[in-house]
Amino acid sequence: MIKHMIEDNCADNGIPLPNVTSKILSKVIEYCKKHVETPKLDERATFVDDELKAWDADFVKVDQATLFDLILAANYLNIKSLLDLTCQTVADMIKGKTPKEIRKTFNIKNDFTLEEEDEVCRENQWAFE
Amino acid sequence: MEMLPEDCICTILSFTSPLQTSKSSLVSTTFRSASESDVVWDRFLPPDYQDLLLRLVKTLKFSTKKELFFLLCNWVLIDGGRKSFKIDKYSGKKSYLLSARELFIAWNSDPMYWIWKHISQSRLEEVIELISSSWIEIHGKIKTPMLSKNTTYVAYLKMRISNRAYGLNMTPFEVSVEVGKQASHGTVCLCGHDKEKQQTVRMEMLREREDGWMEVELGEFFNGENDEEVKMSFTETKDYHLKAGLVIGGIELRPKL
Repeated sequence: MIKHMIEDNCADNGIPLPNVTSKILSKVIEYCKKHVETPKLDERATFVDDELKAWDADFVKVDQATLFDLILAANYLNIKSLLDLTCQTVADMIKGKTPKEIRKTFNIKNDFTLEEEDEVCRENQWAFE
Repeated sequence: MEMLPEDCICTILSFTSPLQTSKSSLVSTTFRSASESDVVWDRFLPPDYQDLLLRLVKTLKFSTKKELFFLLCNWVLIDGGRKSFKIDKYSGKKSYLLSARELFIAWNSDPMYWIWKHISQSRLEEVIELISSSWIEIHGKIKTPMLSKNTTYVAYLKMRISNRAYGLNMTPFEVSVEVGKQASHGTVCLCGHDKEKQQTVRMEMLREREDGWMEVELGEFFNGENDEEVKMSFTETKDYHLKAGLVIGGIELRPKL
């Protein structure tokens, strides 16, 4: 899948990607190129694995908007490893936070009614004890 | 973040934990919906849960994977009652209880030495009590693929001391846990109320459990990803003094906190 993306994805073919800006696409291509060049999981040495992990960690050191755009692109283009990497990054940002803190970090609106909030609290009581 | 489709939120939540997912259900209506999804709770259930469901003594009724997860947070009998397991709701890791029937207990079929008892209405739940013997040899085994990967486990002997007990606090018992190249050995003294001396001896080795039983630690080990067998032992085979009143409920393996 990734290899085809690299081979096909040039101006000549002109595949329309309405949901992905060129800035994000170039980052996706950068990711795919790096991962295509690296030997498969079983075949690679530990130090190569560590190096790739460090590269991935750097790759996701971007602002929130870019991170979410990468998630959307990976989802749309069906690139599982990139989707996992970006979602794991957001998961790590969520870990340990209360709902209020999560909303603040990601600028999410609380769209519950008071009754709904009560209901959710009751359904998940053990998590709030 | 509000523009992310729900299935992306599901993927994100599946990388957190059962606790974090439940907490996050309060963030927004989209988060709530995502946090209920089967996609998320499928990842929190043990990888072999479908196989375990086939081995249940009593089938469970559930309509979502989240429901199933919480049902499995209580002990359930499998393998004809010889074992039970449950999931820790915070981590999703498994604990197992090997029943007394599942253990090797020397002389366990001779009523001169040991006697079997039912502890509840259930025909399946049995424990064994020591009538009289000088030789105590109890072993339990479990294959590591049954346990949660990359987890440190601690093995405990679930036991009680009956009113008819004697001789249990005279000699230390030998405990061990061996798997692959790992081995831990030790000795424990059981608490006994010494009728002669009218005092309680060495309490700290026996701990009270939530279910009213006592337990003594046999040892711990790290479960990686290999396919090996864990052997756990509780023995006293050197001292000729007769012992009695030891009630064995089984061996429990649970993840170290």
